[in-house]
Amino acid sequence: MLRLRARVPSAPEVSQVRDGWNDEQLLRELREALRARQAVPPEFVETGKNAYAWHNIDAELAQLTYDSGHDGERCAAMRSETASVRMLTFASAHFSIELEVTEGSVLGQIMPPGEGTIEAQTQAGGTTVTPIDEIGCFSIEPIPSSPFRLHCRAAGRIDVVTGWITL
Amino acid sequence: MSNDVPVAALVARAAGDDQGAWNEIVGRYAPMVWSICTRYRLVGQDIEDVGQSVWLLLVEHLGKLREPAALPGWLATTTQRECFRVLRAARRYDHSGPPPDELPSSSDHALIEEEIIAAERNAALRAAFAELPPHCRRLLAMVLSDPPHSYAEISAILQIPVGSIGPQRARCLERLRRSSSLSAVHGC
Repeated sequence: MLRLRARVPSAPEVSQVRDGWNDEQLLRELREALRARQAVPPEFVETGKNAYAWHNIDAELAQLTYDSGHDGERCAAMRSETASVRMLTFASAHFSIELEVTEGSVLGQIMPPGEGTIEAQTQAGGTTVTPIDEIGCFSIEPIPSSPFRLHCRAAGRIDVVTGWITL
Repeated sequence: MSNDVPVAALVARAAGDDQGAWNEIVGRYAPMVWSICTRYRLVGQDIEDVGQSVWLLLVEHLGKLREPAALPGWLATTTQRECFRVLRAARRYDHSGPPPDELPSSSDHALIEEEIIAAERNAALRAAFAELPPHCRRLLAMVLSDPPHSYAEISAILQIPVGSIGPQRARCLERLRRSSSLSAVHGC
């Protein structure tokens, strides 16, 4: 159950900051504030800053809603026949992208289907553009070696971008 | 950019075209997003997934937030929702477990409330700390280091008499306490 995952330590009220705290309490709170920032890896902050590149770009975010690669070891026995295939689903409000990762390529299909192009953008800055056929299928070869995301452009609908994918 | 710019002003600037304001928002609240992820026991790539989704969703919503001043609350609940999404995506394959809760429980609500309060307080404290004169920041950083420096070490490194460390520390903390960044939190 999700609720069991939450730790709930006590937190002092904001209103105590200035008037209610002696020097030791203030130092303790300051230590905690600085520690909270130091705990965050710089790349995490960098990713957040880079997200602004999507400002004013008319595209919808499709998020990962299914990944067969999760809990891989635990489930390995259950899918031994198809061990080399990883399935992922990305979905936005009106749109989904199914991906199937095989040995040498990423096969995909957009739903609802339609012609267009799919662009794989790697974090390193490389891009590969691949056509999407009339039933919504595409194939990306070779598999990008660094984290990448897909930018889907199809006629008559808003662009869709996925979150970063690492295979 | 000044550290005590109200969050609503940052949101308005970022909704225009101001990367600096956006960076300030991310810098101020990334620790809260991170902290919520770790409280739901996410690690590694799952945290990155949540992080990038939260910021991309915020980019989409910058101009549509009904109450820009309530951004921390929006970010906290969005982060929580994204954590649930990632947990569900991970569990969908594992059919043995119970179906995950769709709705946050009361302890989830409590967690978010705490995180929002802590985030506001921490951001204000960090801003107030950044406004201190360099000698105060150096002194307090040494006092706060882990393990803490002894007064003899502080005296040797900062080249101030041992006897003046206590009074200086008190003065620096008083400046911190009186900073406008902290009073802004109080004004709410």
